[in-house]
Amino acid sequence: MEWNLSKPEDVIASSPGGSDISIEEQIKRNVFFARLEDLIAWGRAHSLWPFNFGLSCCYVEMATSFTSRHDIARFGSEVIRATPRQADLMVISGTVFRKMAPVVQHLYDQLLEPRWIISMGSCANSGGMYDIYSVVQGVDKFIPVDVYVPGCPPRPEALMQGLMMLQDAIEQERRPLSWVAGDQQIIKPEMPARRDMLQKERNLATELKTPDQV
Amino acid sequence: MPQAQQTSDSNATVNGLFSRFGAPSFTAQPTQDNTPTLWVERHKLLEVLAHLRAEFPMLLDLFGIDERLREHRPEAALDFTIVYHLLSLEAREEIRIKVGVSSDDASVPSAHLIWPNANWYEREAWDMYGVEFSGHPNLRRILLPPTWEGHALRKDHPARATEMEPFSLDEEKQAAEQEALLFKPEEWGMARATEDTEFMFLNLGPNHPSVHGVFRIALQLDGEVIVDAVPDIGYHHRGAEKMAERQTWHSFIPYTDRIDYLGGVMNNLAYVMAIEQLAGIEVPPRAKIIRIMMAELFRISSHLVFYGTFAQDVGQMSPVFYMFADRERLFGIIEAITGGRMHPAWFRIGGVAQDLPQGWDKMVREFIDSMPARMDHYQTMTMDNSILKQRTVGIGEYDTAEALSWGITGASLRATGMDFDLRRDRPYGGYDEFEFEVPIGNRGDSYDRAAVRVEEIRQSLRIIRQCLDNMPEGPYKSEHKLTTPPPKERTMQDIETLIHHFLSVSWGPVMPVGEASFPIEATKGINNYHLVSDGGTTSYRTRIRTPSFPALQQIPDFCKGLLIPDLIAIIASIDFVMADVDR
Repeated sequence: MEWNLSKPEDVIASSPGGSDISIEEQIKRNVFFARLEDLIAWGRAHSLWPFNFGLSCCYVEMATSFTSRHDIARFGSEVIRATPRQADLMVISGTVFRKMAPVVQHLYDQLLEPRWIISMGSCANSGGMYDIYSVVQGVDKFIPVDVYVPGCPPRPEALMQGLMMLQDAIEQERRPLSWVAGDQQIIKPEMPARRDMLQKERNLATELKTPDQV
Repeated sequence: MPQAQQTSDSNATVNGLFSRFGAPSFTAQPTQDNTPTLWVERHKLLEVLAHLRAEFPMLLDLFGIDERLREHRPEAALDFTIVYHLLSLEAREEIRIKVGVSSDDASVPSAHLIWPNANWYEREAWDMYGVEFSGHPNLRRILLPPTWEGHALRKDHPARATEMEPFSLDEEKQAAEQEALLFKPEEWGMARATEDTEFMFLNLGPNHPSVHGVFRIALQLDGEVIVDAVPDIGYHHRGAEKMAERQTWHSFIPYTDRIDYLGGVMNNLAYVMAIEQLAGIEVPPRAKIIRIMMAELFRISSHLVFYGTFAQDVGQMSPVFYMFADRERLFGIIEAITGGRMHPAWFRIGGVAQDLPQGWDKMVREFIDSMPARMDHYQTMTMDNSILKQRTVGIGEYDTAEALSWGITGASLRATGMDFDLRRDRPYGGYDEFEFEVPIGNRGDSYDRAAVRVEEIRQSLRIIRQCLDNMPEGPYKSEHKLTTPPPKERTMQDIETLIHHFLSVSWGPVMPVGEASFPIEATKGINNYHLVSDGGTTSYRTRIRTPSFPALQQIPDFCKGLLIPDLIAIIASIDFVMADVDR
């Protein structure tokens, strides 16, 4: 779906001949054609309402992304809901404890469809540095995850990048779940590693700052 | 930093015990921190503790040790040991009482009538070691789920999740776990109704915006009035103490950052000070001052989060945005110096990770110059606000004696008028060279608890300015052979140094056999790591005493008769994080 935003005066100024333009052009400027599902996906992507849910350290960085310097409201995702029934995004921010897992499952079940999950931080991704008796080794052991944000804890910028990746995915209506049941078999979507995608760009850096200066 | 914590008076305490009960009743155990440590027979335990109660109003800590695999076991030890760590704030004294039990008769009389906060500590020791406490009012699991089998800190319990059956959660298990978490008032001796009123039971948490993390409290309500409350913790138990038994002394440092996750290097400080006590490492002056500066920056960071969320929880929406913006500026400094934000893990055994970068002083100066005016602004905006005052003044009051008996430390204790701060009263790590005041309150209510912390931010700024103006030159790490990572300069010159460096880096340093602890004034109160070394590259037992654990236990004691919004104000004013409670 293609769209752009412009101010009316810019459009008038830039159009040669003013009102002498063709009917076709007029329609193009005033009528918007799209498939309904694309339009809905676009709307959904830019109004993700997160559930006010946090587990541990990562939640503090998640909260930081809501406050002044980072201001996640720029991406339309600041309307924190106190109940899962009004939210469509749940950020698993922190360690998933065995004692907490049934509670997380319960809250996940209460999220209405369509719902998306961001796994934030190493603990939620895989257990991270806590391979210990009381910690579930990754939240995807019991609920499906759409985006994994690495870090311990991830910076607020990383969470926002994860959110934007999720928005792109929602807009394309390709739900990058870790697994989806197809007609005949389990369908695993193609998920290229970010590291490979960014490697070329990163290799361009030839001088790295040393740690002995600020 | 070896520092004799003992004074001649603590011998007076021991002598008093000897003359009262007879010296043969006790077995003294030497420890590296010189805290008097006495083993006592089980049948005399309660008598001895009751005798000590007059002198030691605070039970600082109570924990277990599984002695079964310990090679260098103290002579009086049996299979399990229960340790009572007592603190007298007036006399600045500590004492440890230990009692041993065998595994076929693992039972100790409960001390909850002597110190009320023994209740939760005993539940924890039961949960973790399976040692029973006879006479305990409600001995049930506290950190692990009620459906758990086994006792996690026993040496025969698996440590890794990957050693256990992989976690799964089907519908049946989900239903069973949910059922087990259901609050049943009868289990806590609560009536569902009286003759003329029927109580309502409200479950607050473990996921609720105002409980600061995964904390759950079940309320017995008469209308909107709280009749009784049962805090339920353990939703954030990360097994840090078990983790310490498999990480090397050095590689456990990052785990300490995540105990009080708002305190950053403040946690490192408590841990490395205890190790340095154990190994007898002297830290060079520059490292001491760098540590103090970083720790105080994190105290400010933690208090700023407290300040913002406190205001938010009692209904002010904007302050948190200001405080978090300041915290970001502060993290700019932390990041420039350490490379990390919340969990830099930047302190090392015997010093810090690296020297301060060029230009650090300008950043720090800009920050501390700008803060006082901002603090004045926040004072007007938040603390002087009449609605905030109405919500918090006179709400959730307790006095000094109550605070001490519940093990409350830090700003929550000072808010009751108790003039005590370890940094000033038993200076450690170089704090004796600093000038600062210890703010105290007088009512011991929610407002005072916040006001004390706000003033502490200003005092921390004062300490940081002194660090800035008087930063000594010199090495940032000790030359001691157990300093980690060990000095590398001479490794290419002689083979001995190379071998030691290789072993110390790949296997980790071996700490001398013994026990030591070192209480420090952390962001939320007294934080104390009790380390037991069996002469290995890992700790045999690491006990982490945190200030938040007793703070939650005390809530039911002073919230009765208040309304639910008052409880929210109380919770906001305590300043705890769940990782600091459940570890």
